[in-house]
Amino acid sequence: MTDAPEDAVARIVELKAEALAAIAAADDTPALNDVRVRFTGKRSVLADLQKGMRDLTPDERKERGQALNSFRAAFDAAYQAREEQLAGAALAARLEAERLDLTLPPRHRPRGRPNLLTQVEHEMLEVFIGMGYRVAEGPEAEAGLFNFDLLNIESDHPARQEMDTIYVAGFDDVVLRTHTSPVQARVMAVQDPPIAVVCPGRTYRADAVDATHSPVFSQVEGLVIGEDITMGDLRGTLLAFSRALFGADRQIRLRPSHFPFTEPSAEVDVSFDGPGGNHGWLEILGAGMVDPNVLSMSGIEPERYAGFAFGIGIERVAMLRYGVTDIREFFEADARFLAHF
Amino acid sequence: MKLPLSWLRSLVDVDLPVAELADVMSLHGLEVEEVATPGAGTAGVRTARVLDWSAHPDADKLRVVEVTGDGGDGSIELVCGASNFDVGDVVAHAVPGASIPGMTMEKRKIRGVVSHGMLASARELQLGDDHDGILRLPRDTPLGAELTELLPLGEPVIEIAVQPDRGDHLSVLGVARDLAAILDTRWNAPEIPTAPTASTIPVDLRTDGCVRFATWSVDDVTVQPSPPWLAQRLAQCGVRSIDVVVDITNYVMLELGQPLHAFDLDRLRGPSLVVRGSQGGERLTTLDDQVRELVDGDLVIDDAERPVSLAGVMGGLDTEVTPATTRVLLEAAVWDPARIRRTSRRLGLESEASKRFERRVDPQGADRAVARAADLLARLSGGTATGSDVVAGGSTPAWAAPTPVTVDTARVGRLLSLDLDTAAQAALLVRSGCEVESVAHGHLEVTAPSWRGDLTRPADIAEEVARLHGYDAIPATLPAITQVGGLTPQQRLEREARSIALAGGFSESVSRPFVGGGAMVGVAPSNGRVVLSNPLAKDASAMRPSLLEGLLQAIRRNVGQGRPGVALVEFGRLFRPVDDPVGDVLDATIDGVWRWRSPDGAPLPVQPRAIGLAAQGLRVGPGWLDQDDRWTLDHVLGVLDEVVDRLAPPGDAAWRLQRVAVEREGLHPGRTAALHLFGHEVGLVGQLHPSEADDRDLPEPVVVGELLLEPLLLAVPEGGHPPIGSISLVRHPAMNIDVALLADDQLPYASLEAAVRRGAGELLDEVWCFDEYRSEQLGEGRRSVAIRLRLQDPERQLTDDDAEAVINAIAEQADAIGATLRR
Repeated sequence: MTDAPEDAVARIVELKAEALAAIAAADDTPALNDVRVRFTGKRSVLADLQKGMRDLTPDERKERGQALNSFRAAFDAAYQAREEQLAGAALAARLEAERLDLTLPPRHRPRGRPNLLTQVEHEMLEVFIGMGYRVAEGPEAEAGLFNFDLLNIESDHPARQEMDTIYVAGFDDVVLRTHTSPVQARVMAVQDPPIAVVCPGRTYRADAVDATHSPVFSQVEGLVIGEDITMGDLRGTLLAFSRALFGADRQIRLRPSHFPFTEPSAEVDVSFDGPGGNHGWLEILGAGMVDPNVLSMSGIEPERYAGFAFGIGIERVAMLRYGVTDIREFFEADARFLAHF
Repeated sequence: MKLPLSWLRSLVDVDLPVAELADVMSLHGLEVEEVATPGAGTAGVRTARVLDWSAHPDADKLRVVEVTGDGGDGSIELVCGASNFDVGDVVAHAVPGASIPGMTMEKRKIRGVVSHGMLASARELQLGDDHDGILRLPRDTPLGAELTELLPLGEPVIEIAVQPDRGDHLSVLGVARDLAAILDTRWNAPEIPTAPTASTIPVDLRTDGCVRFATWSVDDVTVQPSPPWLAQRLAQCGVRSIDVVVDITNYVMLELGQPLHAFDLDRLRGPSLVVRGSQGGERLTTLDDQVRELVDGDLVIDDAERPVSLAGVMGGLDTEVTPATTRVLLEAAVWDPARIRRTSRRLGLESEASKRFERRVDPQGADRAVARAADLLARLSGGTATGSDVVAGGSTPAWAAPTPVTVDTARVGRLLSLDLDTAAQAALLVRSGCEVESVAHGHLEVTAPSWRGDLTRPADIAEEVARLHGYDAIPATLPAITQVGGLTPQQRLEREARSIALAGGFSESVSRPFVGGGAMVGVAPSNGRVVLSNPLAKDASAMRPSLLEGLLQAIRRNVGQGRPGVALVEFGRLFRPVDDPVGDVLDATIDGVWRWRSPDGAPLPVQPRAIGLAAQGLRVGPGWLDQDDRWTLDHVLGVLDEVVDRLAPPGDAAWRLQRVAVEREGLHPGRTAALHLFGHEVGLVGQLHPSEADDRDLPEPVVVGELLLEPLLLAVPEGGHPPIGSISLVRHPAMNIDVALLADDQLPYASLEAAVRRGAGELLDEVWCFDEYRSEQLGEGRRSVAIRLRLQDPERQLTDDDAEAVINAIAEQADAIGATLRR
C-alpha cells in the first residue's frame, strides 16, 4: 500500500496525535512498551512511511522527512516523560506496598541468660581481680584431709560435727566439701607466698531444703599470704568489697568469732539503710587471720608469714543485693526467674 | 546459753541498758542471738488463796473457784479449767482489768457462771512450758501481792551463741567474768561454804580421763518442789523444774558451768565408787531409761558392784534421786573433753553435761561447784552436809594444765594493725585473768586462767588482745599485692563457652547435683555412681553421673509451668567412681594430670567439668503465628561445635569432634550420636526416646547434649593457646563448585568431607554441606550428600579446567573411601 505523498504527510500528523494520545493512555510500563512497538516498531505504519521515502522526489522527501522528525521528536519526548512518570508511580506503589508497622513487636530470637548466681559470682570475682587476686578452683568431692585436717579441724573437733558434712560412701574419708577453703589448702600446698587467690565454687551441707537453707550453695573464699599481712588489710579488703557490691556509702563492722582455720576470727556485718530510716547491720561473711597451724601444715613458716582468709556466700550476697527471699529459686531453673535477671 | 539479766548482774558490776549491753557483748565475742522478755506485759495479776471450789454445774472439766480478793480479804468467784490445786493453795489471779502476755482480762460468763478473771498457768505467764495446770506458789506467799513483785516477769533474758572453744561461756559466771574483762569492771563469785571435816565415801580414781572428782554428802534431805525463785530462774534458762535436788544441780551448772550429778546415797552399793575407763561390753540404763552399751574408752563410774553413771554424759537410772531419797551424794568431776565427745557422738546423746565437758570445764571449778550445790541443798531441802572429799588425778594432762605462752608484743601489734605497746597489751590480758610477766624487752609470758583452755598460742593471745581492745579500732588498709590479678586463660575460655551457649539461646541452670535411681546417664555411660553415706533424701542418694538428669527435671518443671518452650545449659562437674569409663576417656584425651587426689595420694571420685544442654518446644514464643521455630538437635550441636572450635588449640584439625551414630538407653535409636575426640567418646547428643519423653511427661521432641570440657580446658597451656596466625585475603575472584557424593549410611559425613578436602587440595577456601538426598533409585541405606566448595588461588583467576581437575581429584578420593561422585 502506498499513499500519495501529501496524504502521507497528513497521515504522519494524524499518527502523531494518535501516538501521543496512546502514550498518555498507557497506564503501566508494558502498555507503554506496546505503544512504542505499535507506532515505531518494524511493522508499524511509521516504518512503512519511512521505507517509502526513497521513492519520493527530493522535495517530497524533505517534506516527509520533516514530518517524520517532528513525529519522532514529539513521540520520544512524550514517551520518555511518560516512562519516568510510570516508573516513579511504580516505585511509589512498591514503597507503599512494602510499608511495615515497626511499632509491632518483632519476631524475636531466643535469648539465653546467665544464672543470677553466675552473674553475682562474676561481680564478686571482678572486685578481687581488680585488687590483684587470681582465681583457683578445686574438686567438690574432696578429701577430708583438705576439707578439715589441713584447715585445723581435727576429726573430733566440734566444728566438724557442726558443719553437717555429707560423706561419700566407699571411701575412707571423702566428703562433699563443706566450704571452698580446701582450695586454699590446695593452693598453699603447691604455691609459695606471696599468695592472693579467690576460690569460687559449689559447697554442700546436710541441711534440709527451706527458704533460707540449701544443701548446695556457693562460696567465694579468699586467701592472702605475705610477710606483712595485717588484720587492717583484712578489714580494708572487706570494706572495699562491700562498697563495690553494696554501695560506696556502706560501712562494715567486725565482731569476734571462732573458726578453726583463723585466729583471730571475725564475723563481718555490712551496714544497711532500710525503709523508714531503719539503720542496721547485716551479717555477710566470716573472716580472720590464717591460723598458724594452717600455715605450718601447708609448709609455710608462721614465724615469717601471716595471712588473712574470708568466705562469702554467693547466694547470701545475691539475696541481699537483688531481694531474692527464697534460696530455692536459685536452683529451680524457672524460665521466668532466669529471664528476669 | 540463756542469761537472765538479774542473774548476770548479781555476778558482775554492769548497769548498761540491756540493748547497749547486748551490743557490747556482740562486739566483743559474746554473740547475742536474742534478748527476750518472757512475761512482759503482765500487770494486775495478784496472789490469792483458794478458799473453796466445786465442779462447774454445766461443764465436766471446769471448776468454780472461790479465791481471796484484794489484800487477801473477801472472796471472788471465777471459773477455772485446771485441776492441779486445792483449798489453801496460793495461786496467781488475773483479775478483770489485769493483763498477761497477749491478753487482757474481763469479767465474763462461762457456761452460765460469771468468772471474775482467771487463774494463770506458768506457760501463760511465759515462765516455762509447764501447762499441766495453773501456777502454784508456796502457801506462805503474801496474799494480794502483785505477781511482778514476786517473780521476774518481763525481765530481759539474753541468749548468746557459744563458740566451740569457749566452754567457759556456758555459765552465768563465765559470761560475767568475760563481761568484767570486756568492760574493765569487777566480777563476784557466789559465796562458797567451807567443807565439813568428815569425808564421804571411798572413791577409787583409776583413769587419766578424769583429773578431779569431788563429792559432798548431804543427809536428811526432803525431796520437794523448788522454791519459786529457783524454778523461775531455771525456766528463764529453758530448763524444766523437777525437784529441789535435780534443780540445784542444774542451777549450779548454769551458774558455774560445772555439771553435777546427784546419787541416792542409799542406793549406791558399798557404798563406794570406782572411776574408770570401760573395757567395753558392759551395759547401763541411763536416766532416760535407755540401755546403753559401753565400748572401750567410755568413762564410767561404778559403785561397789556395777556401773552407775555414764561419766560426763548421763547418770544411771538405778541410783537416781527419787521422792523417797533422804541421803544424797553430790558429785562434780572434770573429764577429758575428747573422751566425752567420743562417747556422746557415738551414742548420739548430747546432754547439758556432755555439751560442757566436751568444750572443757574449768579444771579448778569442781570443788567449789559441789560445795555450792551442797550448801544450797542443805538450805532448800532441810538437809545437813555431812562430808566432802576430793580425789585428784595423778598427773595433769595438757588440756587441763595452763601453759605459759610467750608473745612478741610488737608482732601482735603489727598483726592486728593496732598501736598497742607492751604495757597496754599486758593490761588487757590481766583483765582476762591472765598472769602476765615481762620476760624480755617487748616479750610477755602469759599464763591463762584455769577456765580459759583456748589461750594456748601467740595467735590466741593476739585475738584476746584485739577482742578486748575492740575490733572496731582496727584500721582499714589494703595489702600490697604484687602480682597481676585475673583469670587464667583456661578460666577465660570456660567463660567463653558459657557465652557461646547463651548466644545460642540457652539460659543457664544451676541444679542440685544429686540424683536418685534411674537417672539419665549421658556421656560415656556406666552404672557407676558416687553414692552418699548420709543422703538427705532417697531421690538424692548419689551425685549426678551426668548433667542431663538435672536439666531434664528443670525442663519438666518449666513444662509444668506451661512454658511453650525452654532451652537450658548447665556448667558443672559430673561425678563417677574412681575406675569409671569416664576416667579412661580422660586418660586418653588429656596429656597431663587430671585426677584429683587426697594429700596421701589416694584418688578422689572422677569429677570432670562438663557442659550439658537440653531443650524442648518453641524457641520463641508464644510468638507470631507465622513463626514455628522449634528447638532441634541442630541447635545443640551448633553450640557444642562452636564451643570446641573456640576452646581447642586453634587451627588444629585433630581437635574436631567426630560424630558417630550410637544407640543409648532413653534416647531415640535413630537420632543419637556420640561425639568423639581422638577416637574417644567425650560427648553425646540425642533426642529423647518417645517412651522416655512419655515417662517424664515431656512433650516431644526433647533434645539433649553433653560434652566433657575437661580435655579441652586442660589442653590450654598456662599462657593460653598461641595466637592464631593471620590469613591472606585472596583478591582474585573465587569459584563455587558443587559435588554430590553417593555413599552408604555407614560412611559418616566427616569421611566424605575429608575426601572432598583432599581432592580440592590447596585451592580450597571453604566447604559446606547443603543437601542430603535419598531415593529408591539410590538404594536402601544409601544417600547422596551435596557439598559446595569455594575455590580460589592467590595468584590467578581460576578457569573451568581447574574446576574439572578438582572434580576429578575428588572422584578419585571418593572412590578410595568407597563413595561415588555423582556426575
